[in-house]
Amino acid sequence: MAFTRRAISTFSEKLANPANRVQSYISRSSDPYLNLSIEDHILRTSPPESVVLFLYTNRPCVVIGRNQNPWYEVNLGILNTTTRGKVIQPTEPPGIGDVALVRRRSGGGAVFHDEGNVNWSITSPRGDFTRDKHAEMVVRALRKLGINRARVNERHDIVLDQGHKPNGRGTDPEDTHRTTYTLDGGGAPRPLKVSGSAYKLTRARALHHGTTLLGSPNLHIIPEYLHSPARPFMKAKGVESVSSPVGNIGLENEPFQQRLQQEFAAFYSGASKPDIVETVGEEHLDVPEIRKGYEEMRTADWMYSQTPQFELLLNRSDGRIEMTVHHGIIKSCELTHSRFSVEELGKMRAALLETKLQDIHDWAEFLRAHSPKELSPNTLAQRLAKYLPLPVPPKE
Amino acid sequence: MAARVSVARVARQLAFSAGQRPAGFTNVCLRTQQRVLVPRRLFSGSGALQVKKYTEDHEWIEISEDGKTCTLGISTYAAKALGDVVYIELPEVDMDISAGDAIGAVESVKSASDILTPVSGTVKEVNSSLEEKPGKINKDPEGEAWIAKLEISGEPEGRMMTEEEYKEFTADA
Repeated sequence: MAFTRRAISTFSEKLANPANRVQSYISRSSDPYLNLSIEDHILRTSPPESVVLFLYTNRPCVVIGRNQNPWYEVNLGILNTTTRGKVIQPTEPPGIGDVALVRRRSGGGAVFHDEGNVNWSITSPRGDFTRDKHAEMVVRALRKLGINRARVNERHDIVLDQGHKPNGRGTDPEDTHRTTYTLDGGGAPRPLKVSGSAYKLTRARALHHGTTLLGSPNLHIIPEYLHSPARPFMKAKGVESVSSPVGNIGLENEPFQQRLQQEFAAFYSGASKPDIVETVGEEHLDVPEIRKGYEEMRTADWMYSQTPQFELLLNRSDGRIEMTVHHGIIKSCELTHSRFSVEELGKMRAALLETKLQDIHDWAEFLRAHSPKELSPNTLAQRLAKYLPLPVPPKE
Repeated sequence: MAARVSVARVARQLAFSAGQRPAGFTNVCLRTQQRVLVPRRLFSGSGALQVKKYTEDHEWIEISEDGKTCTLGISTYAAKALGDVVYIELPEVDMDISAGDAIGAVESVKSASDILTPVSGTVKEVNSSLEEKPGKINKDPEGEAWIAKLEISGEPEGRMMTEEEYKEFTADA
């Protein structure tokens, strides 16, 4: 423990020391909440002129952008292997166990992470920030590893061009926005996305982080996680994801991480190695600021109350549900159903109004408290559970 | 919001011309003026006496002549640098804030950027029209797309610049 404490204070000291201008860290934890909290701590405490590379790989999780709607973006019903009332066997598809749901602090859209995806994050001075410079750096690293089809696209993402043969025109190998396989006019086959970017800007600092699909074993099921059954019945404010076909680069994690550290050092100091190269992990939860960010990120409030306003409209022959939800709180609600009396519907409506979705936990139980008819099938609760599921919060 | 502004403007014009009208008509106009302006007096006042100041974080504040309230927004320079704004997180009304706090955030091109307040106080009103139309931030960040109105306690903290000084500051950046 004494040793750990020393290691932790050394971490904080090194991170905050202006003499360490070019720093690099790798996490050995696969906890997405911890890795994102370490990253946020780096953003907030690294010296203003420093540049910091942080590499981490998360266990399977869906990460949504700061201003996104989890019900609209994510198929919440398949995240947990044990969701109230039903158990998904590990042998049944998707068969990858629990998938965590995380809301990050940066902007952008929803992505799927697993052990075949390496995340890179670069914190640098805001003054010389551009949205492309670090994606270009990652492309240079990939090309040095033989991935010649990699380039940065107009959305600041990294794609692999899918042209069948070189287009015959000479392409500048230094041009990170074009390859010899680039098809002009966006012709088929479409490039495959292998890395997506998002940013968080503070007063003096800019954080750019991105995913890198090196060898995900789950490519075939990623679309299942990122398609919500509720989408056609919702009108949501906030940020909508742009869906793209994805592919694996086909590299091992470690050589990529090493190559990226070298490329980072060369870009920022001309040296072959950063001033600091360290490993971080679970013990960094002992840094109070990291612990605070970690706990905040795991709360239902951050996950659900941060959701921009949305409307749900379910119109069926036997009834109708219309709901407006603002910051996770039900602000208006209209219910009609042939099996319920006006009075019963009124009671349920009154109970729902001004309630936080995350406090409902179980739709059937909640509505049953106001109407005994909720015991029968095909009623309001089942419909709500299908389109507004409430996944269990993260476990220890 | 646009409707409210134009009502206020009409009322002001009526009040101005009232001085040249017979007494009976003046009364009618004054009543109109009171009804429209009184609830918003804190934030209306005479524009000429309010001075707009800019922060190094590219926010602007305009303090009312009695020094009790201010309007806050982001600068035209910041709005241009951010690119197309797709969402704005507004602070909550009645929230107590301290100088230096992030009271909201703007999202543009996959980037979340904090909106900081240079002054402590309480949020009195937010510009809800930005929830419907966040793109207004790009069109009129120093006018119609103000972000919040605050009741202030204490002086603004950090360097506060006049329009001239801010122009120089952003030219250097």
